Amino acid sequence: MSAAIEIASVSKIYDGGVRAVDSVAMDIRPGEFFSLLGPSGCGKTTTLRMIAGFDSPSAGEIRVDGADITHVPAHKRDMAMVFQNYALFPHRTVAENVAFGLRMRKIDKTTIAAKVKSALAMVELSGMDDRRPAQLSGGQQQRVALARAIVISPRVLLCDEPLGALDKKLRQQMQFELKQLQKNLGVTLVFVTHDQEEALAMSDRIAVMNAGRVEQIGTPAEIYDQPRTRFVADFIGDTNIFRGQRVAIDHGSGIAVGNGLVLALPVTAAAADGDVLAVALRPEKMTVSTTDAGETQGKGSSARGTVESTNFLGGAVLYRIVLESGQRVLAQQPNSGAAPLHRPGQAITLGWRPADLVILED
Amino acid sequence: MRAASAPRINSMALLILPSTLLFALFFFLPIGLMAVMSALTGNPVVMPNVAITAKHYARMGHDGYYLEVIWTTIRIGLWTTLASLLVGYPLAHWMARIRSRTGHALLLMAVLAPMLTGIVVRTFAWMTLLSDKGVINQILISLGLITTPLQLMYNETGIIIGLVHIYVPFMVLTLTGVIGRIDERLEQAAENLGASPWRAFIEVTLPLSLPGILAGSLLVFALAISAYVTPILLGGFQIMTLPILIYQQISANFNVGFAAALGMVLLVISLSLVIAYNHVLGLVSGQRELQ
Repeated sequence: MSAAIEIASVSKIYDGGVRAVDSVAMDIRPGEFFSLLGPSGCGKTTTLRMIAGFDSPSAGEIRVDGADITHVPAHKRDMAMVFQNYALFPHRTVAENVAFGLRMRKIDKTTIAAKVKSALAMVELSGMDDRRPAQLSGGQQQRVALARAIVISPRVLLCDEPLGALDKKLRQQMQFELKQLQKNLGVTLVFVTHDQEEALAMSDRIAVMNAGRVEQIGTPAEIYDQPRTRFVADFIGDTNIFRGQRVAIDHGSGIAVGNGLVLALPVTAAAADGDVLAVALRPEKMTVSTTDAGETQGKGSSARGTVESTNFLGGAVLYRIVLESGQRVLAQQPNSGAAPLHRPGQAITLGWRPADLVILED
Repeated sequence: MRAASAPRINSMALLILPSTLLFALFFFLPIGLMAVMSALTGNPVVMPNVAITAKHYARMGHDGYYLEVIWTTIRIGLWTTLASLLVGYPLAHWMARIRSRTGHALLLMAVLAPMLTGIVVRTFAWMTLLSDKGVINQILISLGLITTPLQLMYNETGIIIGLVHIYVPFMVLTLTGVIGRIDERLEQAAENLGASPWRAFIEVTLPLSLPGILAGSLLVFALAISAYVTPILLGGFQIMTLPILIYQQISANFNVGFAAALGMVLLVISLSLVIAYNHVLGLVSGQRELQ
């Protein structure tokens, strides 16, 4: 029932010459929860609209299960979309909204009634049949939009920031429910969001987009732990980015990031001495301690500094630290309760494993 | 216990005073006078012994001719409204959905430009097009499509053509506002669920634009049944409508009372339509179901 979607070097150029989407290529696997993640204006929604058939690509092809659908009109694509503002028909009741797609498929009335009933039960809206969309809360409208989409058993479910308008608690609950629903139905789901936490939490794979291009496609762990570009490292979560020239050090190679600070590079790093590199280091991959790591100093895996500010996040503590060499870095420690919090002004030593450094493409 | 504060007049309320006066003096007063006149035997200013009477209304009811005139007026109004809707809706939809700003400006100009020319001028222009020796008939004859000229003028067809041309902008502007406020994503949602573009229009856009259709139709109908110049020129006195009849009663017959009664009929037709409009609007927008 679920379908594979191939997007083959698709571009969308608007009348003014604006490249909203620029040679985007991705293969979405059957039954996959696939997210398009990026800041507003990155082309993620345009890509989704081209999959749905509301916009046609200026170049490239879109294929579903191998069949070219680039020029198939929207109403013949058998995909269901959940819109950002839900786009419920305001002049129709909840049941009529949900029944719409079935009615367009000329299914007999008794079957429609049964399917509508079970779809509404699935999104826990039983008994709301005769309400109008305006009488429902945002969360309920969202569920109606979802029921209206899944009731037609589409090959592909498209979601354009469907949870954006919900408050945090409700959004988290809907994230779980949507993911569960998608797995139960086995439907291919393409999910557009600008919320990186949401994308990381829900997706099987994520395509990070920026300025109309795909920066990286991968599983949430790959995207987070092995960001390919500076943009991805910066956009997903907090990160420390260093730039400098590659130099030779005692046991391999390092990167000189200024004022004498040298970071040891992972042994797998392939680059020649003298190359200018950018590396990313996640705050939570660092240790913050008051013990002076005298003997590791100079090996490129520690640095001295002073705590500038301490942000207590609940489950973790985020420190902003000024290094002796002048750089400001973020370091995050779990709130394990084992050690007291470091106060601003305190001298500390930062430590990390060279393997946690990720070399970025600029 | 607190002393009740004396009612104070909000100084902002004074701002509506001019329009209140205007409406009272030039709208409610004349209509009130007309209503009074329609129920009197004569003009109380020149005749000392007038009495209240229903004879003007009775005359309309007894004489088939006047009922015929009323029906002709309504019929012309209905056809004009229908034709304006059919011409205006696609144009309004196009205007509401066009993305290019220049395109929108050009369309708006095209709709508004005819309104800058006087009704008389435009009606004469139609006469040069529609008459027996007019542009349309001459072309059709020279093409050999017809041998005798089509009767396009001095009948209801001619009047309706002229009225549609004059009132279609009112329909377009009313509809454009309403269609423009319908979220395009609703049509897309319908198409996404398997409705063809035409079906999506019928299922979503059309019902949601019903308030605009009703308002535009009401406006055009009210204007069409009270039109005077166009029915005279394009009807050539062959077709009698209420406004022409009223004018004749005043200028030729000096029967102000009967003219006032005819005017009241025109007013009642329009008013009952407004009431019906509000009623239907309340039903379609589903407001009644909301608490």
